[in-house]
Amino acid sequence: MKIDPSIRSQMILPNRLPAKNPLSKAIFYLLLSVFAVLFAMPLYVMIVTSLKSMDEIRMGHIFALPITPSFDAWDMAWNKAASGFDNTGLKSGFWNSVIILIPSLAMSVAFSSVCGYALACWNVKMGNFLLMALLVCAFIPFQVIMYPLIKMSVAVKLYNTSFGVSVVHTVLALPILTMIFKNYFASIPEELIKASRVDGGRFWGTFVYVVLPLSPNIMIVVAIMQITGIWNDFLVGLTFGNVKAYPMTVNLNNITQTQTGVRVYNVYMAAAMLTAIPPLLIYFFSGKMFIRGITAGALKG
Amino acid sequence: MAKVKGTSFVHRHAASLAVVPVMLIALVFYFGSAVWSMVMSMTASKIFPDMTFVGVKQYIRLFSDALWALSLSNLGWYALGSLGSLVLGFFLAVMLESNLAGERFFKTVFLYPMAVSLIITGLVWQWLFNPSMGLQQFFRDLGLQDFDFNLVGKKETVMWALVIASIWQSTGFYMVLSSAGIKGIDSEVWAASRIDGISKLRMYIEVIIPMMKFTFLTSFVLLSIGAVKAYDIIVAMTNGGPGGHSELPSYYIVDMYVNRQNIGMGAAGSTILLALVLGFILLFGAINLLSKKKE
Repeated sequence: MKIDPSIRSQMILPNRLPAKNPLSKAIFYLLLSVFAVLFAMPLYVMIVTSLKSMDEIRMGHIFALPITPSFDAWDMAWNKAASGFDNTGLKSGFWNSVIILIPSLAMSVAFSSVCGYALACWNVKMGNFLLMALLVCAFIPFQVIMYPLIKMSVAVKLYNTSFGVSVVHTVLALPILTMIFKNYFASIPEELIKASRVDGGRFWGTFVYVVLPLSPNIMIVVAIMQITGIWNDFLVGLTFGNVKAYPMTVNLNNITQTQTGVRVYNVYMAAAMLTAIPPLLIYFFSGKMFIRGITAGALKG
Repeated sequence: MAKVKGTSFVHRHAASLAVVPVMLIALVFYFGSAVWSMVMSMTASKIFPDMTFVGVKQYIRLFSDALWALSLSNLGWYALGSLGSLVLGFFLAVMLESNLAGERFFKTVFLYPMAVSLIITGLVWQWLFNPSMGLQQFFRDLGLQDFDFNLVGKKETVMWALVIASIWQSTGFYMVLSSAGIKGIDSEVWAASRIDGISKLRMYIEVIIPMMKFTFLTSFVLLSIGAVKAYDIIVAMTNGGPGGHSELPSYYIVDMYVNRQNIGMGAAGSTILLALVLGFILLFGAINLLSKKKE
């Protein structure tokens, strides 16, 4: 399907100026390589630090490869690290993140895709007004609505539960996702929707049999966006979760800020790696889909 | 928009019903909450809500708090410093859009920080800035005995440390936006420049950059809003220290609500934050309108 304009623009061969001059080409490669090394450096340092012992770290050679690489710090971070509440490491946070992620992913995609479809393919009274309102909502900082949301979630007994965190994630994602879906569905040829109506397809029938089968790409883009976004969230998990429901990022932060005894940077870096691996895997395997997600998420807003 | 004309009442009814959940969420959880916060900012609430009307007293108290003033000036510097990621991102995009081999590899490297949590960004940069075991020690071992890179530890330089970490995090994103902007330029523009024999540098300065002004303005708005929202990175890297010299308004407000338990002042701060963002939204809307007129 060539219905998505952003795909279409990528299919047209870009007419850019090739760097013909070999000298400028060499300079470009040199500069790009320098920056690539600088950008990759923190990840490299994270990995080598996580494989060292604290004795080795204290020698102060931050870029040196580990003399005797070991996964002790990873084991410590996953199973035993102290978070200020207990000594059970990151694994509980990992599962909390999964438990938070699944319902919020399902709810946000369900509500926003249906609403985006209605706005794009049907006459909805005040539809444009709603889109304007959603645009404003997408920009409102969380701090502005934080206190009332806490009060409301206390009132419905969702405060300090992982489902409460999921609901807040859903609320926060709806404006931007609705706009993304609306923009995508609006590019579906009008004739297809009309044809479905002639065949007797109503609102839901057209959605299920015509629109959804055309949308696997946008669904994947949105899913990638939501999974990485919710996984990496800290503030919502911190304010709406509790000791039993803190996501992995909050767990990680608690482990690194527990000021009892020495700061064990090998464990901290191992914990950071463990938290970073799921979104990094998605990033390295999804390629262009990830890029489309972050640009759509930012620009269509 | 593929609007279907002459649909029956039932059809329209289903579509209108389908938008109700999102509409209610926008009305209650966003607009309702924002109004609620504004109302609270004009009450005498402290640890507990207290609906006694006090006018602008909380705002006066807020702006006479030196820490709030400091957080606002920090925000200005942080936003200004974050522009570095736009400049660097555009620069990288220009180089990558020159048909170099390995474009994909470089893009993957520049963009991966975007995939990790800001908590991790803050943590790893805190470690890199560690004075006795991090980058400073590395350069001292190389023979630069006086090398001073303890940015996090000193109040004059702590914002620099945050800016560096945030540039590392978001440069890839602005590189992608700039790439899209460069790709979006009409092929005839490039063809014309080739015929005229204009140098690439002049081409960029005189033609491409002016043509991309909407990309830049959009990026600028996104950068500003990103700075207003920045929170996680401060928690992970500095916790606002030393002595509040890396606090931003977003951090100050959460701290006010959660630790200092002052609802009235927290609400006043969040209302100021809302006003800031609304200003940027208006700017964004104006840009969108202008760019649509151009088309």
